[in-house]
Amino acid sequence: MLVDVVMPQLGESVVEGVVVKWLVEVGELVAKDQPLLEISTDKVDAEIPSPTAGRVAQILAKPGETIPIQGVLAKIETDQGVVVPAPTAAPRWDEETEGFPGHMARKTEPPIPAPPRVEPSAPAPPPPPEAGRVRITPVVARMAAEHGLDLSRIPGTGIDGRVTRKDVEEYLASGQAAAAAPAEARPGPPPAPAKAPAAPPRKAARAPKAALAEGDRVVPWTPIRKKIAEHMVRSKHTSPHVHIFAEVDMHRVALLRANAKKEGMNFTYLPYVIQASAKALRELPAMNATVDDESTILRKDIHISVAVDTEKGLLVPVLRHADRISLKEISAAMDDFGARAKAGKISPDELSGGTFSITNPGSKGNLFGTPIINQPQVGILRLGQVVKRPVVIDVAGEDSIVIRPMMFLCCAYDHRVIDGVAGNGFLYRVREILEAGEFS
Amino acid sequence: MLVTYIEAIRQAMDEEMERDGNVLLMGEDVGVLGGAFKASVGLQEKHGPDRVVDMPISESLIVGAGIGLAVQGMRPILEMQFIDFISCGFDQIVNTAATLRYRHGGQTACPIVIRGPSGGGVHGGLYHSQNPEAWFCHVPGLKVVAPATAYDAKGLLKAAIRDDDPVIYFEHKFLYRRIKEEIPAEEFVVPIGKAALRKEGRDLTVITYGSPVHAVMKAARDMAAEVDIEVIDLRTLLPIDWATVKGSVRKTGKALIVHEARLTGGIGGEVAARIAQECFEDLDGPVMRLGSRDVHTPFAPSMEEYVLPNQEKITEAIRKLAAY
Repeated sequence: MLVDVVMPQLGESVVEGVVVKWLVEVGELVAKDQPLLEISTDKVDAEIPSPTAGRVAQILAKPGETIPIQGVLAKIETDQGVVVPAPTAAPRWDEETEGFPGHMARKTEPPIPAPPRVEPSAPAPPPPPEAGRVRITPVVARMAAEHGLDLSRIPGTGIDGRVTRKDVEEYLASGQAAAAAPAEARPGPPPAPAKAPAAPPRKAARAPKAALAEGDRVVPWTPIRKKIAEHMVRSKHTSPHVHIFAEVDMHRVALLRANAKKEGMNFTYLPYVIQASAKALRELPAMNATVDDESTILRKDIHISVAVDTEKGLLVPVLRHADRISLKEISAAMDDFGARAKAGKISPDELSGGTFSITNPGSKGNLFGTPIINQPQVGILRLGQVVKRPVVIDVAGEDSIVIRPMMFLCCAYDHRVIDGVAGNGFLYRVREILEAGEFS
Repeated sequence: MLVTYIEAIRQAMDEEMERDGNVLLMGEDVGVLGGAFKASVGLQEKHGPDRVVDMPISESLIVGAGIGLAVQGMRPILEMQFIDFISCGFDQIVNTAATLRYRHGGQTACPIVIRGPSGGGVHGGLYHSQNPEAWFCHVPGLKVVAPATAYDAKGLLKAAIRDDDPVIYFEHKFLYRRIKEEIPAEEFVVPIGKAALRKEGRDLTVITYGSPVHAVMKAARDMAAEVDIEVIDLRTLLPIDWATVKGSVRKTGKALIVHEARLTGGIGGEVAARIAQECFEDLDGPVMRLGSRDVHTPFAPSMEEYVLPNQEKITEAIRKLAAY
């Protein structure tokens, strides 16, 4: 078979070499390491040794020709029929430690025999896989252990696809990590190149330092619980939350629900609030945004993350294009999310890409609560319990006390990005839509 | 006021001599000539030949006499005409000055300042280009400073003169007249042992001091679009401001140390080792160093360029670490 003789890289900044002179001719028999030709580069002059024993089959570069590194200079025919792997690269000389190879190679004396090498007693490390192994720095290893991450799922942007600290931070910020946890059992598409090592063993949860009395139960955090904890703390730490409240008369919505029921459709209040929010976001888009570093990205599409409670913890699947779908579709999607979340069948893709969040704690949700923003979004809306309450309304020009289903909506916005006018304007508009019953 | 680096040094000596009658300057040609680089020009005329004293060509004598005066309550500034010649006074510095307080159980001090022009880049050849700060950083009892700006040159020299322990003050001759800087007209002192955060950044930390501070800052500006660099100017090399170094590396996860002194046995090795040990779990790349090649500083400009760290090498090292 034919083995290539290539232009080696002699020095870090060298990109090409010039063929000075051939020392062999086509057809000549050569020994392994026998000098084949002289080359000259910006840094050094050197002789190129034959990578294998055999017969010179072809000479592909003439004296004076400039060849880029790794460019083929000649082909050597080996007499073996077996496949001989071409050398991956000629040795790289380190001028500082190895001396100047060109200078050494030009000497005509026989080379000084190398001193014997003591073989290390430990087994040699396995050869690196072709596509490069995944290297992990201490900080990345620590973060992976802390967050229970499988590094093979994180796309690396460092040298040779290394997962950098920034990659991990971005992965965590994107919320994909939370998604990865329930999806672990299924074979997901690994985004990392080549064979990645198995996830580093997760650190055992630290034993609590608190004194335990008989009957106390220690519940170590699961990965998803750690993930939620980390996300909540980071969100509170990152965004100055402003919480504003609207008291909404759900009278119209209640009537619409009753009408829908007559038509056989059992809607909760949630689809109405989702649709009202999507409509308000379309009209007042400041809140439909995510933060990236020191920029705000105003999102064109409205994808609403909806919090779903599961036994394992909170999951937040995303309802895509919430402004373009009907109440019926929204309601169906909510039922579907609920059922699949319970069964652990929400896919990671469904958990990312939200542009605004809504959380509905349900009929036992109490009067109101102050939600935490779902990073990197800038706003979140929380439904309170709908309760009947006497309210003063205007009936034909007269103040009258009537009984109405009332609900407190709490909106949290990130004051880094959203100022009072925009935040309040949004919530006010949601309330208007709900009270006027502007639904499609 | 707008002053050069060397003028800042002159002002510091002048003001301290005016403030404290115990401060005096001794060295070769510091009096009548006003110093080989004119760092003490006009000082003898102003403060008299008893306080600005021309000494014989004997660094051992200059340091030894200074130690004796210091023990008796004076605060001598001892100039090495070139810091390369400090090795002639080495024994007096490391065995006498540095140990004095220790030997006397803290009952006496040795308030001397040894200052002189260090560094290359001026085609001074091997006897006039050295950066021997690492020799002294190995010695307890000494303090070592290396200012990079006119402000620090003045403030650190004043702090050094007022310090009760021997301070070795490395002034970089490449900066003498290349740096022109606005400094306050009123009195100020730069504390010994405190690094300066020259630029905040998120991606990697460059720890440097002396002349390369300026090249690193230029790199930080020029490369702003590709990498956000944090620059720490150590200013004091003994004791090093570890809190600042560690705080920064913990934040960025990557560290490059740049100094003009030779790499092997240089300050960078100590800084790198300490980062590796104390910030290990925060590191997101190898701790890297850039210094002069391990050879004597050559005279030929092209060879000097090859040996010393320069703009190009700094940029390359930053790029390499940023990409890791």
